[in-house]
Amino acid sequence: MAGAIPFTCFMQPIPPMLEMRGICKTFGTVRANRNIDLTVERGRIVGLLGENGSGKSTLMKVLFGMVRPDAGTVSFNGHALQSHSPGDAIRAGICMIHQHFMLVEAMTVLENVMLGWSRAGTILKSIEIAKLIRTASKEYGLELSPKTRVSELGFGKRQRIEIVKAILRGAQLLILDEPTSNLSPVEVSSLFQVMRAFAAQGRSVVFISHKMGEVLDLCDEVVVLRAGEVTHRGPVQNATRADLARLMVGREISLSHVSETKVRGSELMTIEGLTLIESRPPIDGLSLSLRSGEIFALAGVDGNGQLELIETIAGLRRASKGKIILNGREITPLRPEARVAAGVAYIPVDRANTSLVPDMTVQDNLAFRDFNRPPLRKGIWLDKNAFLTRARTRIQQYQIACPGPQVAAQTLSGGNQQKIVLAREVGRKPTILLAFQPTWGLDPGATRFVLDEILALRDAGAAILYVSSELEEVVMLGDRLGVMFNGRLIGVSNRNELSMAEIGLLMSGDERTLS
Amino acid sequence: MKTVAGKSVPETRAGDSLWRVVNKGSSFNRLALSVLAVLAAFAFTAVPISLSGKNPAVAYWALLRGAFGSVDAITFALNKSTPYILAGVGVAMCFRARIINIGGEGQIAVGGIVSSWIILTFPDLMSSVLIPLALVGAALAGAVWAGLPAMMRLRRGVHEVLSTLMLNFVGTLLVGEVLNGTMGEPGAGFPQSPLFPESGRLPILLPQTDLHSGILLALIAVVSCHFVLWYTPFGFRLRVLGSSSSAAIYAGISLSSTFLSVMLLSGALAGVAGGIEVMGIHYRLIEGFSSGFGFNAVAVALLGALNPLAILPSGLFFGFLEAGSLAMQREVGVPSSLVYVIEGVTMICVLCAMGFIGPRSRS
Repeated sequence: MAGAIPFTCFMQPIPPMLEMRGICKTFGTVRANRNIDLTVERGRIVGLLGENGSGKSTLMKVLFGMVRPDAGTVSFNGHALQSHSPGDAIRAGICMIHQHFMLVEAMTVLENVMLGWSRAGTILKSIEIAKLIRTASKEYGLELSPKTRVSELGFGKRQRIEIVKAILRGAQLLILDEPTSNLSPVEVSSLFQVMRAFAAQGRSVVFISHKMGEVLDLCDEVVVLRAGEVTHRGPVQNATRADLARLMVGREISLSHVSETKVRGSELMTIEGLTLIESRPPIDGLSLSLRSGEIFALAGVDGNGQLELIETIAGLRRASKGKIILNGREITPLRPEARVAAGVAYIPVDRANTSLVPDMTVQDNLAFRDFNRPPLRKGIWLDKNAFLTRARTRIQQYQIACPGPQVAAQTLSGGNQQKIVLAREVGRKPTILLAFQPTWGLDPGATRFVLDEILALRDAGAAILYVSSELEEVVMLGDRLGVMFNGRLIGVSNRNELSMAEIGLLMSGDERTLS
Repeated sequence: MKTVAGKSVPETRAGDSLWRVVNKGSSFNRLALSVLAVLAAFAFTAVPISLSGKNPAVAYWALLRGAFGSVDAITFALNKSTPYILAGVGVAMCFRARIINIGGEGQIAVGGIVSSWIILTFPDLMSSVLIPLALVGAALAGAVWAGLPAMMRLRRGVHEVLSTLMLNFVGTLLVGEVLNGTMGEPGAGFPQSPLFPESGRLPILLPQTDLHSGILLALIAVVSCHFVLWYTPFGFRLRVLGSSSSAAIYAGISLSSTFLSVMLLSGALAGVAGGIEVMGIHYRLIEGFSSGFGFNAVAVALLGALNPLAILPSGLFFGFLEAGSLAMQREVGVPSSLVYVIEGVTMICVLCAMGFIGPRSRS
């Protein structure tokens, strides 16, 4: 096997921590990985950039032994990993932290760390392990207390439990899959500190992302994947955002330029004293108005009441108090169906189960918020021809890449799934569009498409409430913006009135900037 | 093995292509898999038959003749299939919405009781009035029996699995209770009601046989449910709700009214199944007249992949299997309880086969 690593063995006496060479994997007609090399040196943070479907996950699955490569070798710390199982990879010291955590909410931090770990003993050595957690927590600045219940912790802290698990179990190589998706800017920067401390000890990190800014910020090297091939590798010092974006997508995409609104008309929707007692955090007397031809961007870390607010406007939740007025007509008592008919469109963040029904057809998915009124309903029957006609039009109009209206939505890529949602909600020409992180998990190409459609809707005179936890998006899109913190709407301002740093502080609840 | 860039490892490719074939899930593949599953089940059951000292080939031949050997055999089997199809299609509608109604047993029983009561109370009515009246009564009774757990779920959060299961015992024991009381035949020595008058018996479809018109009702139910499920807003609601309740909320579907409606529908179909059984087969209410029907209906629904049209062959399969098994027991001496083994093993095989196909979708 020594002959399989001809290039590095004479350059360095110590082999790199991870060396993947010539990885090829084909699924049917899709060449997910074509001859990919990935080298991770000790103490380095390597960014793996790529769109959805560029082969990042396949490569990681190969590394973990979840997928057998058609060709290629993997060696870790100088030992070949061949036909290995995920268990072998973990024992060798590779640890992956997924977007969705594997934690038991009802248990404490300590119990979660001990869960499934043989070193915790047959009779659990709680005191000893708790001490280990405290030590590691201090060393890396994780601020975790072993006795806290997971259910009481926010997303950022939960992620740290996964990191402490990896550290205690002796991980040499930590792989983070899109770790910043749900973090506030403050949490992101402290995660980066943890990563740097980890790397400073001679261990390594692979940071999977499609956010160029974060990769440039954190990583030592960057590897860009496109359509299963490496299009770029090198130190981050020489790279710019624009370069990376082009390398990732294969064409010029400007993500930063968004024109300001040209039409800013009358108030379309007013929300007065909206109160939700049962939501966590409770919303107490929130007021907001949305004007024709503008995007109101609502920033905030997830879980500060944005979801509750937007669901109440969409009619999925009942307000305890307050009024929602659309075009002079109170819609507070209306059911969701009636609100759709009144012109309220809503793009929820959860594509997996809410905005799409994965095992129903594209055609049904394009119809499922309007099926109960003409033209889709005719008397007591559903008009299947109307379903089909609408589906064909929308597929063409929104360039949804699918074999036909009758295939299940789950067979489509994430970007095309979001196009279905967009086609359904925007295609109805709504007066108000509520969009909850509509670009979440999308690659730059699909992101641009979604944003363009939303901007077109704005310029046609609709009002848009755009919720996002990504600072850049909020600043770029919002003709006006505000921040949700702990159920309150703060920092409402016009475009360019607040700096990114100020909004970041507001998102973490620091209102000093406002005074 | 030497792995060179660009060349593939043959073993994994073969595995992938097999997966693709299975994964296509066309209706032909589904059918082929079902047939394979049934054959596998028969092969497995050959083992206990051999162990009981009988020749499986002889036993299966007897089973086949018992199911298809004569006009009488076929009509007998069709009659047996009728309640399975009716109750099964109701169960399928519930399961589509991911509502686990396993109360068919009780709903069938109360359907039988109420239709019997109507017939015995109004024996002088013309049959063209009495039979529909009894069937409507049976449907209402079944609907009430399913509506109770639905209301408990909606008002008090009692899970329907528990409440429908428990009401099964109440329903079936109620049959014995009324037969030992007011509806029992005086001096019969067995818990049964007096014989129904001619006007309260389902008409025979084929002269000189026992084939009653219940099978037509089952057919109508299957076809109607097919159209309801695929071509009406109500069916659309069921399918969305079954796929994802959060999507259903997002689509503005009222969970409680959908839940209640489909439970009532399912209960009514089971109730009619009970009514048909007493009015078409026994011509009286007998204790234990519907033992196991409700649970078989669940099996029928699953075997038919919760697709109303597929419930028809699935229900017929169960009916013919049971009819044949009685013959097998009579002629070869193989215990007919082995049929439950075949049914059970078939179910397991089919469910495994469906696992290969992946998520349900309309092909």
